[in-house]
Amino acid sequence: MKGPALLAATVLALGLAWQGATAMGWLDPFTVPPPDEILASLPQLVTDEDLARRFATTFLEAFAAALLAVAVGVPLGLLLHRSRLAGAAFEPWVAGIAAAPLVLLYPLFLVLVGRNLGTIVLMGAVAGLPAMVLKTKEGFDGTRPVLLHVAKSYGFGGRQVFWKVLLPSAVPTLANGVRLALVFALINIVGVEFLVNFGGLGQLIADLSDRYELAAMYGAVLFVILVSTCFFVLTERVERWLRPA
Amino acid sequence: MAAAGLSRIAAVRLAAAVLLLAAWEAASWSGLFYRGVLPSVVQIGAALGGLLSDPAFWRHLGTTAMEVAGALAIGGSLGIAAGVLVGGGRLARRAYEPALHDLAPTPKIVFLPILIALFGVGPSSKVAMGALSCFFPVALSVASGMALVDPVHLRVARSFGLSRLRTLRSVHLPSLVRPMVTGLRLGLGVAVIGCLLSEIKLSNRGLGFLAIQFYGQFRIPEMYAVLIVVFALAGFGNLLFARIQPRGQAESKGETP
Amino acid sequence: MNPTRRALAGVLALPFLSRASRAEDAVKVAVGQRGAWDTSVCAFGDRVGFFKEAGLALELLFTDGGTETQQAVISGGVDAGVGAGMLAILGAAARNAPLRILSSNFRGASDTFWYAKAGSGITSFKDAGGKTVAFSTNGSSSNLVSSRLLQLAGVTTARGVPTGNPVATLTQVMSGQIDIGYSLPPIGFPDREAGRLVYVGSGRDVPEFRDQTVRCLIATPGFVEQRREAAVRFLQAYDCTIDWMYRDDRALDWFAEGANATRAQAVRARAEFYPKEAMRLGPPANLDLSVQQALDLKRIPRPLTPDQQARLLQVPWTPPA
Repeated sequence: MKGPALLAATVLALGLAWQGATAMGWLDPFTVPPPDEILASLPQLVTDEDLARRFATTFLEAFAAALLAVAVGVPLGLLLHRSRLAGAAFEPWVAGIAAAPLVLLYPLFLVLVGRNLGTIVLMGAVAGLPAMVLKTKEGFDGTRPVLLHVAKSYGFGGRQVFWKVLLPSAVPTLANGVRLALVFALINIVGVEFLVNFGGLGQLIADLSDRYELAAMYGAVLFVILVSTCFFVLTERVERWLRPA
Repeated sequence: MAAAGLSRIAAVRLAAAVLLLAAWEAASWSGLFYRGVLPSVVQIGAALGGLLSDPAFWRHLGTTAMEVAGALAIGGSLGIAAGVLVGGGRLARRAYEPALHDLAPTPKIVFLPILIALFGVGPSSKVAMGALSCFFPVALSVASGMALVDPVHLRVARSFGLSRLRTLRSVHLPSLVRPMVTGLRLGLGVAVIGCLLSEIKLSNRGLGFLAIQFYGQFRIPEMYAVLIVVFALAGFGNLLFARIQPRGQAESKGETP
Repeated sequence: MNPTRRALAGVLALPFLSRASRAEDAVKVAVGQRGAWDTSVCAFGDRVGFFKEAGLALELLFTDGGTETQQAVISGGVDAGVGAGMLAILGAAARNAPLRILSSNFRGASDTFWYAKAGSGITSFKDAGGKTVAFSTNGSSSNLVSSRLLQLAGVTTARGVPTGNPVATLTQVMSGQIDIGYSLPPIGFPDREAGRLVYVGSGRDVPEFRDQTVRCLIATPGFVEQRREAAVRFLQAYDCTIDWMYRDDRALDWFAEGANATRAQAVRARAEFYPKEAMRLGPPANLDLSVQQALDLKRIPRPLTPDQQARLLQVPWTPPA
């Protein structure tokens, strides 16, 4: 049985169980809308709620945020790997930032950057940055010493060691870092859109929640899942392209 | 050598901290921003002092700390279990790992009404939200860690005729410790966010509750003081995880603490 | 009957309640927008002791706003909610959600005012052409009032923007991102006093909303139907507290403390923005207007059926006139 088929079967089974639980009265439909209501709300979402534009907005915000996180995060992670002093001094700080509820600082970001998409992208980038930095450092730190020794015995200089040994060996972990950065960026982006009532899917979710249209709200959540599916497929493609055959 | 290393680290951190504080203070005094949003470091310091000497604050801190600890314990264990199960087989990985990735970025706060219906309005629903949030980074990190286990080791284990369970214990687990700890460190972050946001939405105690009270009263220095405490809490948690993180090969040479 | 007499009458009636009800009843209440005058009734009443005298042990939980309050009641996590928006209630009732109206909470929109940054050239809604005007969320009372104020001023080119709570709104206005902000007392009072912002309009400028109930006390069906007796006592103690808040100046001190305001600001808030009449308990007033607004904003697909309305409006007690 192939992977996607198994997933589809699992989802179907869970969906039926959920529908059944609601029908039996175990689940309260006002707090947990049943799957049929959620699915029924989807067409209305597309036509009435400008879903395509909102989807594109959130997608592009997350994309931009991830790019920013990679552009700033990989060099920083490399620095923390190279300089043992900086690494030891600042890795706990970076990990601490990852744990901080940056989302609560949104009024500060609003004031600094303005009530626009830039704020949302910036908050997403800041959210994804620590994960990228940490995974970059982890990726380079974890290079197997035997590879380094072999490279040195071949007389490789610093640059060659980096491009031929360090980077390829770190690619899986780096890819992991990009995925995590995307996840954190997307969570924060949708979260900030929700809080600030601006932007794409997050704003839609806030709006639907305010109007008490729970089924449609969970339908919108499905589209958030769709955004991350797209990203996952994208990063997989890119990783396959980066990894030497 | 170690002692010199420690004091050099402290010096670097101190220098960085001073630089950041100076930049903040400059921004605060520059008049470029509305007076309320960037209070001076002195004001925040005073607010922090006031906070730390208020017994009510410590009760709130205790509540949030317990919620986060509970969330990590529950979400973390479930995440590790899920990561091992999903990452363990090629079929399971192909089927469920993408699903985990795709589910991770949903804003978990929309599930709060369900959690309140299930767990009530007290700290339990906050723990549940925190656990739901931190489940994903842990599961993802462990699942990908499973995939990165050295195939040579696996083949050796198979040639020794080790059972599936034994292989898991002797081969997978040791190389999983690093991704587990990384996952938990990242999970700590989202657990804190999950607990705080649900305190903001509905509660009567905790640091999130306190922060939003101050915000609503426009007592911004106090709000920043609470956030500083939250940062410190998370930083402390990270320190604990850093202590148990297995060293990388470079570090084990003993040149870093 | 003067207020003191009424309060005494309420308290004297207590010994005549059935023995079962005298044991302390636990009541969980969700309160949105803590620190506002009209949502502080439970906290003040608890502090003075009216609820304890009525044999009720209140536990207050604070939410981020009306929608969360309503959701907390619907999910059964709390027994009652304060400050739930009328349109949101109708939306839920139209879908047969398990919630009931205990009483009107606030009538009219006198509590909301609009302002602009000093020196921006905006002094009234007539200057709002081509500008951004804030309100809290879509379908809220501030949304409806600001739209009406723009209509009355004859402005069609303004853009309404949902900006969330008053603090976030104030920050955005003072940073130049929004032109006309909305607020609830006492947020914005210090800036107004310091001349940093100017008053531009208020909910009181819209006469047709004056008698309309915009926020309600809500409860779970269980509280209203199975614990009706406790619900009645809850409303009676609530009523006593409202009387007290307009009679006893300690209320002003507590409000100032909880809202981080000065005594003078508290006096102003009570006198100008929260007329006692607006807080009077009873069935929601001008419900037809609310239903019409809900239809216009597509919060409900059709008016409530008589059944739905009857189920929703099981108001257990109204203060004597």
